[in-house]
Amino acid sequence: MAKARAIVKRLKAVKNIRKITRTMELIATARFKKAMDRATEAASYTKKISEIVADLSKADLSFSHPLLQQPEEQTKNVLLVLTSNRGLCGGYNGAVLRHVTTRLKQAKKSGEELAIEVAGKRGLSYLKFQELEYAKAYTNFEDKPRYDEVEEIADRYIEGFIAGDIHRVDIAYTKFETAARQTAVIETLLPVGSLGDDDANDDGEDQGVDYEFLPSPEDILEEIVPAAFKARLFKCFLDAAVSEQIARMVAMKGATENAGDMISELSMQYNRARQSQITSELSEIIGGAAALE
Amino acid sequence: MANELQLVVVTPETTIVDEPVSALRFPLFDGQAGVLPGRAPLVGRLGCGELKMTTAGGERSYFVDGGFVQINGPTVTLLTARCLSNDDIDADAVRAELEEATSRPASNDADIDARFRDQDRARAMLAQKK
Repeated sequence: MAKARAIVKRLKAVKNIRKITRTMELIATARFKKAMDRATEAASYTKKISEIVADLSKADLSFSHPLLQQPEEQTKNVLLVLTSNRGLCGGYNGAVLRHVTTRLKQAKKSGEELAIEVAGKRGLSYLKFQELEYAKAYTNFEDKPRYDEVEEIADRYIEGFIAGDIHRVDIAYTKFETAARQTAVIETLLPVGSLGDDDANDDGEDQGVDYEFLPSPEDILEEIVPAAFKARLFKCFLDAAVSEQIARMVAMKGATENAGDMISELSMQYNRARQSQITSELSEIIGGAAALE
Repeated sequence: MANELQLVVVTPETTIVDEPVSALRFPLFDGQAGVLPGRAPLVGRLGCGELKMTTAGGERSYFVDGGFVQINGPTVTLLTARCLSNDDIDADAVRAELEEATSRPASNDADIDARFRDQDRARAMLAQKK
C-alpha cells in the first residue's frame, strides 16, 4: 500500500498548488485590467502634449532645449531597469535582465561609466547575485506606479543631464504593444530624441488654427520638453506594470493547466497501483488456497 | 456660436474633468485668466492656483499646479501635473511645506527662485483651502 499512499499525498499537494495558481491567475487578471485602465487614461495626457508640440512646430520655431541636445561625449550614462517586486511571472524579469547584461558587457568594452538604477526586488537580487554594482534601487513601485514618485526620478535626471553629470539615460523595461505581445527593450530617454509620441501623426484636421501663445512659443517649449520627458518616463512605468500582470497571468494560466494534467496523470497512476495491489493480494489468496489442496 | 465650453482637465495619471462649462477661470503664469465661450485659440503656460468653473450644477473649484492650457474652438484643455479638489488639500502638510521652504537656505539665484516658487505654491494652496 506504500506506493499508492505516496501517490495520494502527491495528488493532494498538486491539487493545493492548482488552487493557488488559479487564484493567482484571477488576481493577475483583475490587476491587469486595472493597470490597463490606468495606462489608457494616462495616454490622453501624452496625446495632448504631442498635440501642443505639433502646434508649436507650426509656429516657425527652432527647437532648441538643453534636454534635446546631444552631449559631445557619452561616458557617464545611466541605465534604469524596471523589474517586478514579485516573482512567479514567467520570463518577464529574465527578458529585461538579459538585455541589461548585454548592455553591461557593451559598456565594459567601450569603457563608459554606466550607473545602474534598478526598480523592483527581482532585478535587485539578480544584480546582487551577479555581484554587479548598482547606484540606486527602488522597491516602492508596485502595480500602480504614482506620478509623484516617477516625477522625483525624472527631476533628478533632468538636473543631472543639464549639469552635465549624466550624458545619457537609457531605460530597460517591458514595452506593452498589444495584450498579446510585450517585448523587453532598451530605449534612450535622454537626450530626448523626438517629442511626443512617435506614432502621433497629425491628422491635419486642425491645421490652420492660429494660436496665441502665452507668454511665447519659446517659453512654452522650455516647459513642455521636461513635461514630455516625464510623461514618457511615466508611460514606461505604466507599460512595465501592465506587462508584468500579463506575464503573471500567462504564467499562472500555464501552471494551472500543468497542474490539471498532472492531477489526471497521478490519479491514473494511483488507480493502477491500487488495482495491481488488489490483483496481487487476490493471487496470493488463490495461491495460498491452491497450496492447501 | 455655442455658448458652452467643453472643459477637459488631464493629469499624467488620469482625466479629472471632462464636462461642459459656461465659464471658467484658471491661473496663467502671470495671473488669473478668465475664459468665456468664443475665446480665440490659445496655448499658454499655467501657474499654480485656483481653477474655477461655472457648470450647470453651480460653481466648482480645483487647485492646479503648473502645466499648459490649450484652447481650440469650444474645447479647453488643461494639462497639469497635479489637480486637487479643495477637500484633497492637506492644510497641515502644506503648512509644513511652506515652513520648510521659508527656512531653507538659498545662496544662489536658482535656489532663491525655487524657494519663492515653493512658497507661492504653498500660499496659493492655503488661500484656497480657507
